[in-house]
Amino acid sequence: MRTEDLIIAMAADNLSSPSIGTLIMRRFLPSIALVVLAVLVVLGPRSDLAVALTAPVTAMKYLLPLALALFAGMAVFCRARPEQRAGRLIWPIALICALAAIWLAATMAKMPATDWWPTARGQSWRFCLIAIPLIALIPLAGLIAALRKGASTAPMRSGALAGLTAGAAAAAIYALHCTEDSPLFFLCWYGLGILVVTVIGALAGRRWLRW
Amino acid sequence: MRRALQKKYPKPVSYRRVGANRQMNMSINDNPWAGLLCAAMAGDKTAYARFLHEVAPVIRGIVRAKGAGIDTSEQEDIVQNILLAIHLKRGTWRQDQPLRPWLYAIARYKIVDAFRARGRRVHLPIEDVQDVLPAPERADPFEHRDALKTIAQLDPRSAEILRRAALQGESPAETGQCLNMSEGAVRVALHRALTRLAALRTRESI
Repeated sequence: MRTEDLIIAMAADNLSSPSIGTLIMRRFLPSIALVVLAVLVVLGPRSDLAVALTAPVTAMKYLLPLALALFAGMAVFCRARPEQRAGRLIWPIALICALAAIWLAATMAKMPATDWWPTARGQSWRFCLIAIPLIALIPLAGLIAALRKGASTAPMRSGALAGLTAGAAAAAIYALHCTEDSPLFFLCWYGLGILVVTVIGALAGRRWLRW
Repeated sequence: MRRALQKKYPKPVSYRRVGANRQMNMSINDNPWAGLLCAAMAGDKTAYARFLHEVAPVIRGIVRAKGAGIDTSEQEDIVQNILLAIHLKRGTWRQDQPLRPWLYAIARYKIVDAFRARGRRVHLPIEDVQDVLPAPERADPFEHRDALKTIAQLDPRSAEILRRAALQGESPAETGQCLNMSEGAVRVALHRALTRLAALRTRESI
């Protein structure tokens, strides 16, 4: 096929292509709504949700992952355009991770080493570790599907950021149900759950976000 | 003083008309291509064809400058991959942003990809691609075998619709009449064919 011919064919194809921002919103937000609904119906919210939200330490269970999801989501947005990089948006993400790490270290330093494992494992660490990636699956799929219309010049990084967004959002949603309020518990297992989803996202990106 | 300033920086002639429309305003600030692509995305087919015709030689110039050592027909393959990417990814261009950085970023990504597929590492600073001479398509009576192969890999219907649009220059309406399809169905099929073609060619080069 000559380039001339290709141009003629492309000019004939004027099917409108919605902007990538619209697409991400259209795929990601409904999937989040769906998953919130599913968690509330299947797992049920914790009975003392209103009280939990006002306790500073417990509120961090929601705020940290939500902030992470927000900044990672903005970075995904940026990266979907070929001429843009995540740039400065990486810093707030790094800052949140650093804060979490420092908090984890400080909590551990305050208690004897023999208490670490009993506190961290709580009642439901296995369930938590399965639930977060499971909740993240649908939003992640929606994000990756939308990003396929995007043009990230770093597919794997974009995938990882998408995973981080979906994973962090899933952690905040799971927190609606989870009653384990020890920082050691949620920093460990939420963090690990989010990390798992980030890795899945990176692999999905390598596989599906090339163009 | 004011008069002197006005003399030094005369207002653009079409100031008022341009100011009325933000998108046009942007395109004039940027370059004529942005105006053409804006019009194209609003559905103007002629503007789109002109845009692609004007962009192609510049893309070819970039590929030729960066891809020395790759033979001509393969270079043309890369040019076509870039044009396809521009076409399919045009939704990622924000109309209030300059067009050229977007265009060059796509070209760069595809060129780096092509080099990677050939087992060569390439360092391609983005500033480098901005000042190359446009190049015309070289007369190449032999269609490149790989390109043909990829069209043959499309399902027969897609290939037929693509050939009719590309080689015979048929409009979707005409194709629809010949193949007994609605015009809308032809449009969708043509879009899918181009998407599929781009995917096949990308996979081939990875």
